[in-house]
Amino acid sequence: MENIIWDLRTDNVVSLIKDGKRADGRKLDEYRKIEVVKGISENADGSAMVKLGSTGVVAGVKLVPGQPYPDNPDEGTISVSLELLPLADPTYEVGPPRDDAIEIARVVDRGIRESKAIDFKGLCIREGELAWIAFVDFYVTNNDGNAFDAGSIACLAALNETRFPKLDGDAIVKHEYSGKLKLSKQPLLSTFSKIGGKIVVDPCLAEEKAQEARFSCAVADDKALCAFQKGEGGSFKASEIDECIELAFKHAKEIRKLV
Amino acid sequence: MAKKQEKIEYVKNGKRLDGRKVDELRPVKMEVGVLSNADGSAYLEWGQNKVLVGVHGPKEALPKHKQNPYKGLVRYTYRMATFSVPDRKNPRPGRRESEISKVSGEALEKAIFLEKFPNTAIDIYVEIFDSNAGTRVAALTAASLALADAGIPMRDLVCAVGVGKAGGEIILDLNKDEEDAPDAVDIPIAIMPRTEEIVLLQMDGLLTKPEWNKAVKLGIEGCKRIYEMQKQALRKKYAEAEQEM
Amino acid sequence: MDNEIQAVAPQEGAKAEHKKKMIVVPGDLVTEERKKLGQHVFIEDGKVYSDALGITYPDSEIAYVVPLAGVYIPQRDDLIVGIIERETVKGYMVNINSIYPSYLSADKCRDVLQKASVVSAKVDAVNEINEAELFDVRVFYGGEILSVNPSKVPRIIGKNGSMLLVLKEGTGCNLLVGRNGWVWIKGGDVKKLADAIKLIESEAHLDNLTVKVEAFLKGKKVN
Repeated sequence: MENIIWDLRTDNVVSLIKDGKRADGRKLDEYRKIEVVKGISENADGSAMVKLGSTGVVAGVKLVPGQPYPDNPDEGTISVSLELLPLADPTYEVGPPRDDAIEIARVVDRGIRESKAIDFKGLCIREGELAWIAFVDFYVTNNDGNAFDAGSIACLAALNETRFPKLDGDAIVKHEYSGKLKLSKQPLLSTFSKIGGKIVVDPCLAEEKAQEARFSCAVADDKALCAFQKGEGGSFKASEIDECIELAFKHAKEIRKLV
Repeated sequence: MAKKQEKIEYVKNGKRLDGRKVDELRPVKMEVGVLSNADGSAYLEWGQNKVLVGVHGPKEALPKHKQNPYKGLVRYTYRMATFSVPDRKNPRPGRRESEISKVSGEALEKAIFLEKFPNTAIDIYVEIFDSNAGTRVAALTAASLALADAGIPMRDLVCAVGVGKAGGEIILDLNKDEEDAPDAVDIPIAIMPRTEEIVLLQMDGLLTKPEWNKAVKLGIEGCKRIYEMQKQALRKKYAEAEQEM
Repeated sequence: MDNEIQAVAPQEGAKAEHKKKMIVVPGDLVTEERKKLGQHVFIEDGKVYSDALGITYPDSEIAYVVPLAGVYIPQRDDLIVGIIERETVKGYMVNINSIYPSYLSADKCRDVLQKASVVSAKVDAVNEINEAELFDVRVFYGGEILSVNPSKVPRIIGKNGSMLLVLKEGTGCNLLVGRNGWVWIKGGDVKKLADAIKLIESEAHLDNLTVKVEAFLKGKKVN
């Protein structure tokens, strides 16, 4: 049923963008308003709530001591997952993560992991026996498009707040912490939609539904790229990707001030 | 590490561990209409608890064989975020969440005019982002607000509170430390305030009948205080909608 | 339903006087007097209560509540705006912003319809589970659909269409307001129209609204 209304809006969105305009008045390369609230969950080791326009995301980090992987006995690791909550969108259902949630989580994960922002060797507790696993779980609470970037911002903000639980032997001492997690880089995703032959950044929901193709780019700092993901059935020219990369560097610089 | 052997005084000179009196609630904040994609929504903070509720419906209940031709179905889903508890919770829902979902949905059935919506379903989604005892009553209280926000016709709001015992005293709104007391009794209770009909009632612990009588009286009184806050939050929402321009 | 609103809608040109109003939540007492019953109230033990969050007018002869939100339930003879969802063997299923789509028999419309066509139609019959059949169908081409609170529609139309006229003249828009809360709009200043409708929605219970909206559309400020 929802799809019918979207067919109508899609036409409007496409014709607006062909004229260089967007339904909410933004420029083609402009982000929506970003709000970040840190430390929203005391039980989490680090947490943050983010609003990107009307899109809402809550992220939380739990550091759990576990067995390191046999091929990396002196390293801990991160594990990023996303749940698209049914309250975020009438089309989301209760159940295990769908393909789109898995894709978003993995792209956000790659952005953090590949940037080497977290020193995995620094997560080691006892080589070969015990290491920290940083579980980064984020939840979309309201879907107005671009869970990629909203999720990336929320996860980074949550990681920046994260503290190591105090250990007594192999067990965690509740309510006590020993030091903050240090990130050497601040990786952030920027997502672009191709609509009506033009490129727009930070698509809202109506724009996401109208997009021919999508491109997300993670930047670790002012120079380094650390993840790409192209999605949907359309295509990009190499020059369009270049354009996106330049904008990604520009936007990440601004957003870093908030996390 | 040796366990602390000192005896904890849960209630001393009328004051509890966190300084509250025996009949005092933790601070509660309620906000209605926070999710643009939901038909109705509410966000509630109760002590450390943080609850978000979204409502969709009434909508056609599918698959068709699940429809009830006489009334709408209430589908209540209670879930906790992995980081909402001290030890990271497995994302897959557990039996506790299933049980809470079931009794909470049933608590709302009498309040909603389900007969007005045959063959439909009303979906209520609850997500807990931080917890410290009493999440199910916080969630139910917020769900009631979200249903009103969605314009779903109801006989009454549903208000809920936890009451129980710790350190030999009957107390209102136990926190986690009190729930861990050796003699702890936890009684989540929900009522429809106009008639004081009880729509949710659970208990675990040991209690005598006189203790129960004291507890239920305190619980109903606590629920009514929550009800006053719900009314305020809903009225505030109406006033805001008026000032939109 | 329209009768109840007109019972308290101020006469055009009457002096401004605020009719007493009360915000109620589900379960709140509306009245203990014996009154005729309108929408969104129910009786228990001889007293009348509200079933919704909304506004009630204690001085009204009819006990009713205008809700802040709620889903549209079709009534016979309602004029609605709908979107064709799909074709069936002998007709179409039409989305009318209610719990269920409505059915339109192919022999009730002269135009050729397809998925996503926008139409206006009248509600013919409604069964016990609120499923409706439509007739008297006209197709719209182009334009867009604005969604409003169905219970505010009578105010957006106004007494004898007075508010509708003000909106049309003040924005230059071609529009049709469906009782189901969907408004089809084509041409004119759509943003100004949307803002004017928001104003009506938020002040639906106040007096002299038509005058206020007229002034707003002309660009003047009225308090």
